[in-house]
Amino acid sequence: MTFTNVMKKNKLMAIVASIYLIIFVLMPEKAAIAVSNSTYYLIEMVQILPVIFLLTVAIEALIPKETITKRLGEKSGFLGNILSLLLGSLSAGPIYAAFPISKMLLSKGASVSNIVIILSSWAVIKIPMLANEAKFLGVSFMGVRWVLTVIAILIMAWITEKLVDKKDMLKAGTVETDNHIAINKDYCIGCGICVKMMPQVYEIIDQKAHVIEAGIKPCDDAMIQKTAEKCPTHAIAVKRKGGAVA
Amino acid sequence: MDVFTLSFWGISLALVGVSLAKSKEKTFEAMKKSKGMMGNMLGEIVAIIFVIGLVLTFIPPESIKSVLGSENTFVSSIIGAVVGSITLIPAFVAFPLVGSLVNVGASIIPAVAFLTTLTMVGVVTFPLEKKEFGVKFALVRNLLSFVAALLIAMAMGVIL
Repeated sequence: MTFTNVMKKNKLMAIVASIYLIIFVLMPEKAAIAVSNSTYYLIEMVQILPVIFLLTVAIEALIPKETITKRLGEKSGFLGNILSLLLGSLSAGPIYAAFPISKMLLSKGASVSNIVIILSSWAVIKIPMLANEAKFLGVSFMGVRWVLTVIAILIMAWITEKLVDKKDMLKAGTVETDNHIAINKDYCIGCGICVKMMPQVYEIIDQKAHVIEAGIKPCDDAMIQKTAEKCPTHAIAVKRKGGAVA
Repeated sequence: MDVFTLSFWGISLALVGVSLAKSKEKTFEAMKKSKGMMGNMLGEIVAIIFVIGLVLTFIPPESIKSVLGSENTFVSSIIGAVVGSITLIPAFVAFPLVGSLVNVGASIIPAVAFLTTLTMVGVVTFPLEKKEFGVKFALVRNLLSFVAALLIAMAMGVIL
């Protein structure tokens, strides 16, 4: 990686580092205080970060998400709401990672209210994040905010169900391409899992995955399908021979 | 390390142990996945923590108290909610940031408003949401979330 690339990737880091450099030259005492203030939070973070990592791994590996997603239809009722809440809070990644998955669930028959619940709980009530919140803001703060948020999400889901027509939501477009494999650049987080699985088909350019068309062989279909399933944000869409985007 | 953190360590280690016993392959795959996602954010986390150091050193607690304190909660909560809506930083760097402000005297009401809109309302991600689900859904969901964040914040102020 070139120097400019490193700078681009760590823009915030570079800005903060140069501020510190200036302060160290102009007022070394203040800088020392700032560093010791930061060190306190750095140590706290180092203590809780592996926990967040381990919890994310355990949830990802242990929860059978497929069985949950099968029960989210129109008549799934209160149980469906609870399952949606679970699905959202047990998933990892930022809210926009939830869009393609929710869209897929919607077209498979999930109700509008359950989509609202998945999106909102995906955003706010992450189980590994609760550990982090309790650490820095206290257990009672975390607990009360959690209860209030769950109530608010259920009310919001009910209101949205009344206001928005599901047909309008389904009409909103997914992009169709002629390529065999399409990567949605809006969702790709550049994690490189696809490259690790199939370096002959994928490459990362500017933190986004790209398809090497020349590297695709017909016999790779099953493996390519697997990369689409493994992509954490579901940014890879594979077009089958029939023309439907999976 | 306090009891609370230790117990979380215990729980998460046990869970990963269970998952390893169940399926090694699945667990290692999950590790790769989360390593990729968290690795990308690591630089950002360290940077934000050093920003906290700067804030605590150069902005005196009295001025944090007077701006974010309990005297003008209504205005500061609206500001907190708006700032939360337009910024897109990972929640787990937001918690130490907000925690540090609350420790030096900021009121929890704007803090909650900020934390809730930060994750639930997305001005930056609105175009994406609109593209997937249509304008009406995106508008209704984001507006409801904004109002909900303010209500949650006020309720927190009453309860805690």
